[in-house]
Amino acid sequence: MDTILKVSSLSKVFGGLSALSDISLEVVTGKIVGIIGPNGAGKTTLFNCLTGLYYPTDGQVFFQGNPVVPELSSRKAGLVQRWSLIFIILSLAWLPLFWSFFLSRTFFKVELTLLAIFILSIRLLVVRGLKEFQLWAWSVMFVFILGDLYLAIWWLTHPTTLGSLPGTEVRLAYFAFPWVSFAVPFSIYLSWQLLLRDVRQLYGFRLGPDQINRLGMARTFQNIRLFLGLSVLDNVRIGAHGRMHQQVGSILLRTRSQRNEENEIEQETLEILRFVGLEHRTFDLSGALAYGEQRRLELARALASHPRLLLLDEPAAGMNPQESSQLMQLIRRIRDQGVTVLIIEHDMKVMMNLADNIYALDHGELIAYGTPDEIRANPRVIEAYLGRGSADAKA
Amino acid sequence: MSKISPRWKLTGLLILALLLPWLPLGTSTSYFLRVITTAILYMILALGLNIVAGFTGLLDLGYVGFYGIGAYTAGLLTIHFDLSFWVILPMAALNGALWGILLGAPTLRLTGDYFAIVTFGFSELVVLVLRNELWLTRGPMGLPGISPPIVFGHPLKLAWEFYYLVVLLLMIVLLVVTRLEESRLGRAWFAIREDETAAQCCGINLIRYKIIAFAISASIGAMGGAFFARWFKFIHPDMFKFWESILILCLIVFGGMGSIAGTMLGALILIPLSEILRAILPQGMFTARYLIYGLILVLMMRWRPAGLVPFDRAQESKAARTRERLATSGGKE
Amino acid sequence: MGNLLDISSLFLQQLVNGITLGGVYALIAVGYTMVYGVIQLINFAHGEIYMLGAFLAYTQVTVLRLPFFIAFLTTLLICALIGVVLDYVAYRPLRTAPRLAALITAIGMSIFLQNLALLIWGSQIKSYPREVLPKIFYQPALSAGDVSLTWLQIFILSVTVISMLILHLIIHKTKVGMAMRAISQDKVTSSLMGIGVNRVISFTFAIGSAMGGMAGILVGLYYNAIFPTMGYIAGVKAFAAAVLGGIGSVPGAMLGGGVLGIAEVMGAGYLSSSYRDGISYAVMILVIIFKPSGLIGQVTGEKV
Repeated sequence: MDTILKVSSLSKVFGGLSALSDISLEVVTGKIVGIIGPNGAGKTTLFNCLTGLYYPTDGQVFFQGNPVVPELSSRKAGLVQRWSLIFIILSLAWLPLFWSFFLSRTFFKVELTLLAIFILSIRLLVVRGLKEFQLWAWSVMFVFILGDLYLAIWWLTHPTTLGSLPGTEVRLAYFAFPWVSFAVPFSIYLSWQLLLRDVRQLYGFRLGPDQINRLGMARTFQNIRLFLGLSVLDNVRIGAHGRMHQQVGSILLRTRSQRNEENEIEQETLEILRFVGLEHRTFDLSGALAYGEQRRLELARALASHPRLLLLDEPAAGMNPQESSQLMQLIRRIRDQGVTVLIIEHDMKVMMNLADNIYALDHGELIAYGTPDEIRANPRVIEAYLGRGSADAKA
Repeated sequence: MSKISPRWKLTGLLILALLLPWLPLGTSTSYFLRVITTAILYMILALGLNIVAGFTGLLDLGYVGFYGIGAYTAGLLTIHFDLSFWVILPMAALNGALWGILLGAPTLRLTGDYFAIVTFGFSELVVLVLRNELWLTRGPMGLPGISPPIVFGHPLKLAWEFYYLVVLLLMIVLLVVTRLEESRLGRAWFAIREDETAAQCCGINLIRYKIIAFAISASIGAMGGAFFARWFKFIHPDMFKFWESILILCLIVFGGMGSIAGTMLGALILIPLSEILRAILPQGMFTARYLIYGLILVLMMRWRPAGLVPFDRAQESKAARTRERLATSGGKE
Repeated sequence: MGNLLDISSLFLQQLVNGITLGGVYALIAVGYTMVYGVIQLINFAHGEIYMLGAFLAYTQVTVLRLPFFIAFLTTLLICALIGVVLDYVAYRPLRTAPRLAALITAIGMSIFLQNLALLIWGSQIKSYPREVLPKIFYQPALSAGDVSLTWLQIFILSVTVISMLILHLIIHKTKVGMAMRAISQDKVTSSLMGIGVNRVISFTFAIGSAMGGMAGILVGLYYNAIFPTMGYIAGVKAFAAAVLGGIGSVPGAMLGGGVLGIAEVMGAGYLSSSYRDGISYAVMILVIIFKPSGLIGQVTGEKV
């Protein structure tokens, strides 16, 4: 009885609006857990936070025991931080010294640019501890590293350009060596570290939706988001993207492993389409499908990634009773395959019959948790849906 | 669908293309071949831009920058080091890819409009650098005297020789592009084009795949530039102005953004058209042919934004081909 | 001591020139930003309207022999009209189309207009012959040592300032202005509230194009060089100014224009004059990458 998903004190604030506050929930492996609540309660926002489309303002999420929204503490990250700090201090101390010896135009331009970049990068240290995504940190870092490398190499190859210390024969370029010998390895080291995820988190990066998908969490959307211009087959194959391994090289050379992988995925895709009942539409454009078929296609696409946890956002919306009961059967079969399901739904019949446990949200807060029967009788839930005073009337 | 399998049609076209220089067209063969060579060069460029703008849906207005980088890389390496064309071609491609990555990394996170503007700014900066850094590029004096490629010890001179060379390059590029299209990479690009958010939730790292698209597109543009430099034997910064990007964009918009066949068709129709314009327009007004291209863009967007061979038409036929393949091989269950 | 005076008077002169140029950029930038505010489209052809303004004034003054100020006013009206027609013909049919399509159309119109001007007027650079302009323009109005301000510059500055004030009044004190602001926030609700969205958009184009055209006339006077591709270059710079200030924000465009004008003149004077245009491109690229909301604007997100 493991917990596949554990959320603790999750909050999401947009400007002045608190969309989620202090949400904590647990999902046990192999169960179907429901999330209900009136419109605007924050259900889809919750899903977006779980799948990495939004970055929570506070709180933590653990998926299969691993932090998806982590605390920022990692030994490696600390090390990189320390080296960055040393480098920045060294540069800032060294640069004005250098400036005072020459003011030739070309260097003035270059130095000016680099100084601006260095100063900006100090802000990177401030980013630690913030959990917001900072694009500019990434860009500045990139430009900073390049500038470093370029300047270092230039100075290494042009030792005579700068002339000599006044009154002596000592070449000014020698002053650059301590900085240069640090700059080159540091740039390479930092670039390498940036490729590793846990260090990127230091600088304000977070786990992206694609990474979360690859960890085993897949989702569908409230408003169908299919790749309408593509065929049904392709839509599902794209769902399997995170599981595949082919790269540019093996694709261009059409290696055996690439061709095998393509065939394998093709067969699996046909299986999945059979499973959801869409095999007769395999080669049609997904835009041509009926509404109910499109919903099933989205489900198939999510299944293609072989998820451990499936998040369904109102899968039964707009379906007639016959379609919804077919959908319920499908979801049960998915659960029987070992996939845990977290489902948002407004259709109470579906929810009550499908879910093992239900969480109820209202205005971004968790107001109830329990089995379907408990939730049905819960006065706070009734109040949320029907307004104050209705708690006294029978649901 | 016609009875003849697409494979046979393609082979037929290929044979026709290979025989083209030998058709008896009289004394104007050489001129005709030059026009076709230009058309095929633009086909190559358009296929490159198609990867970024067509497959991935990113409007790259600065494509000509990569074309120029490739041309100048090839030109300078030829003039200073007299390297073989076959060495320079991959070097130019690599340089193009490098600049594609450099430009792409900070900019590919931007939304469509801004990305377009930034790429435009980039290509302008490239032209400025080409024009001003005289020590490197001889600036406005241009770079004359680039020697032609040497094939099996024989320097290319005649129109039909260059024609075959460019057809060879086209074959290579087509191979690359078609293989990419029918692969995980191609599908990832299409997904990004259709819906970025959904693509992310399917495990596609947006930045990574956008950069790859950009790099490959840039390297194809650079290869085209390398060919151009050694074919024309003279290059000049003004040959790589923004309007060239518009022309190439026009080719794929007209032909059908995202479809390979459409892109090639667009080039095949519009480039000879510009030759006709050259004959019609008065002397010195040839630059104004861009008026037609601008007009084509506006009209196409208004009445047939999907182009001659629309993207979803291309997807449908791809799906149909898959169905046939599966039906004839193992047999559908 | 004398050296210091030289340096500072050079600096001041550059500053004056920069502010003048900045004012012109602000005029064009405002047109971009207003259109972007109401229809979220970068009107690439705006630079061409600026260019047409310059050509039209020139043609009226030299060929039709109209007095300058009359030509000035008629050009404003014609440019406003061109803007409205541009919207009606090219942009309105694509109001509901995907952004990419509208963007491509805008680019197409820009190229089309540039080449149209090329066909009509030829590629030779045109200049106003001295006699047709009021003589007073070329006389210095104020001078302090080596720093001088000509009447022409004063004219440009005052026209710029007055237009900005009028624009500000229109946006904040009239019904139409309020409608513009409403539409830039939420087009659908605005139309539900009874605002004639298309008409207000046309009005926005009219004002923006008139100001762009005016900038064209002023630059044509100031640099005395008119050619079909001038709109393209100035257009990019003005767009950079609009982005710098925050696209969608009118005061931002004014601020951005000023900053960019000064930066360009200073940069050309102190750093490198051959990369003069490059400075604008660089500023634009850097601003877009690092702070796309500009100095004053706000970022809006996408709802999932």
